[in-house]
Amino acid sequence: MGVGRIAFLAAALALLPAAGHAQGKRPGKNVHLYIISPQDGATVKSPFTVVFGLRGMGITHAGDDFPNSGHHHLLIDVNASLSLTEAMPHNKNYLHFAAGQTEAQIDLPPGKHTLQLVLSDSKHYSFNPPVVSKQVTVTVR
Amino acid sequence: MTKSGEVHPIRPGIDASYEAPRRLAAILAADIAGYSRLMTLDEEGTHARVKRYRRELIEPAIIEHHGRLIKTTGDGFLAMFDSPVEAVRCAIVVQQSMVGRNAALPRDQWMQYRIGVNLGDVIVEPDDIYGDGVNIAARLEGIAKPGEVYISGGVYEQIKNKLVCGYQLLGNRKVKNITEPISVYRVLPDHATLVRARSGRTLAIILSVSAFASVAVAPAAWYFFASQPKQSAARQEQAPPQTANASKSDSAAARQSAAPQVALIPPALPSSSQPAVEPEMVTLLGGKFAMGSNDDPSERPIHQVDIKPFALSKFPITVGQWKQCVAANACVGGVTGDDDAPATNVSWSDTQKFTEWLSQVTQKKFRLPSEAEWEYAARGGVHTKYWWGDQIQPGMVNCNGCNEAYDAIKPTKVGSFKPNPFGLYDMGGGVDQWVADCWHKNYQGAPVDGSPWLDADCSSHVLRSGSWRSDPNYVRPSSRNYYDTNARNQTLGFRVAQSL
Repeated sequence: MGVGRIAFLAAALALLPAAGHAQGKRPGKNVHLYIISPQDGATVKSPFTVVFGLRGMGITHAGDDFPNSGHHHLLIDVNASLSLTEAMPHNKNYLHFAAGQTEAQIDLPPGKHTLQLVLSDSKHYSFNPPVVSKQVTVTVR
Repeated sequence: MTKSGEVHPIRPGIDASYEAPRRLAAILAADIAGYSRLMTLDEEGTHARVKRYRRELIEPAIIEHHGRLIKTTGDGFLAMFDSPVEAVRCAIVVQQSMVGRNAALPRDQWMQYRIGVNLGDVIVEPDDIYGDGVNIAARLEGIAKPGEVYISGGVYEQIKNKLVCGYQLLGNRKVKNITEPISVYRVLPDHATLVRARSGRTLAIILSVSAFASVAVAPAAWYFFASQPKQSAARQEQAPPQTANASKSDSAAARQSAAPQVALIPPALPSSSQPAVEPEMVTLLGGKFAMGSNDDPSERPIHQVDIKPFALSKFPITVGQWKQCVAANACVGGVTGDDDAPATNVSWSDTQKFTEWLSQVTQKKFRLPSEAEWEYAARGGVHTKYWWGDQIQPGMVNCNGCNEAYDAIKPTKVGSFKPNPFGLYDMGGGVDQWVADCWHKNYQGAPVDGSPWLDADCSSHVLRSGSWRSDPNYVRPSSRNYYDTNARNQTLGFRVAQSL
């Protein structure tokens, strides 16, 4: 299921016209964004820690416009496609780690949930092409 | 129509040795005007509405004001309060909430309460109350116009210096089955009613004045009743302004006991008469209110908070105001947009620079509101999900999904939507608003005195209001969110407060 969503997300993103979006900065080369833990399919007890992994780019504080860097956003139970023209939403499904955090303790109600990381630039816009992690599914006991 | 407060004869069969206690109490009697007509239109619907209003509005309002619901009738209810101030305040809250609820409906479906409040010595039985005191409240309710609150002279004497409101003496009225005529006052609802009342003979306007508002006053529950200084000047002889009292030693106690659910709104002065730099402020008298809700775990537990008088900027701080701070080299640049758009892309730390600068140039102490103050102000004395009711309505807030038109890119200019009952604009939607408090994931252990909840080290601070990009659930007055203290985002703005 997670893979299907990723495929959908990737397809949706690929279809977005790249031209005309001044916002979409180019990410670094060979960038890999991933969730270190929990693992896909894990069963966890809330609250639990999500650890973010990033290779090929750096993490900075939002607002600091260093090249080849950005900050994490954790998308919880989000299946909507990512907009390249609008800044990342900010609500209980889109957690921002604008201070440059690389892990977070999150509290979710029991049941199945999906987690996915998206890296954005200093102004909270997604890179283009987007830097997203694989979506992992966890079961909260 | 059922009369809720009819005096019953002492019930037969009562044990002769049992003596029901007597006590002095403020009695509130209410019924729905045109109930029979509404029942004819839609019997089941009307019944369901009455029950819903009772559950969602009447019962919480009575509890909130330390009253007791004595009984309900088909279309009305009878409640008892220890304090006349609380009783009248409760009446105002009920009326004002009904205005909000009716706003969405066609006029023929409006449900309006008529409310009478009397102070009297009554017999208290476990499940009912009896006596002239009850009867008079019921008669006052009977002569009140739909949507209005009529009070007896006894109540007026107790509350006139405590509850900031307009009161119109309607004269001594002879009412059914009561020998002595009773003096009747009408609690003045809103600006329009005040203007209409001016043609009346005796109009007593109780003026109370804040540090800012040098002229007029409003029972904010019902919008402005302030804006034209000359009209109040003409009528002030009935009741001298309370300005002097406000600074006297007993003022703190008086305010405390009054703690009205109403606010003083400074007159809408032309901006040229104020230093351009100073935001327009609305004075709020504070009082006790129930903070939180059960709509989200972060908003629990609902707890009572006592808010001290304070002032809050009428609008979020604008780009124009921010630019003045930038021009003074006190604030960071990068805040863009039209001058009358809300300032955005500011971190919590940035707002501290702004309030420092503003305090310095105005020689008045400005600060962010506490989270409790923000919610108190946003609720506008109402306890529904939104200040106008439980459903989202077009034209009320700027959010994603609140209106037909929606601009995803930027917020509308400040003051584009209706003000809440306290006369504050954009308390919900528009821009996320920083408050002074550190983020805590719920209210376990939260202060109850209205002060900000601070930690030695807080990496994130609380945001209120939701923004133009939020969905309707995030723009409720009780909704909470947070952000990293030093981070900026295009939806983050703020408004300023002052202690009084």
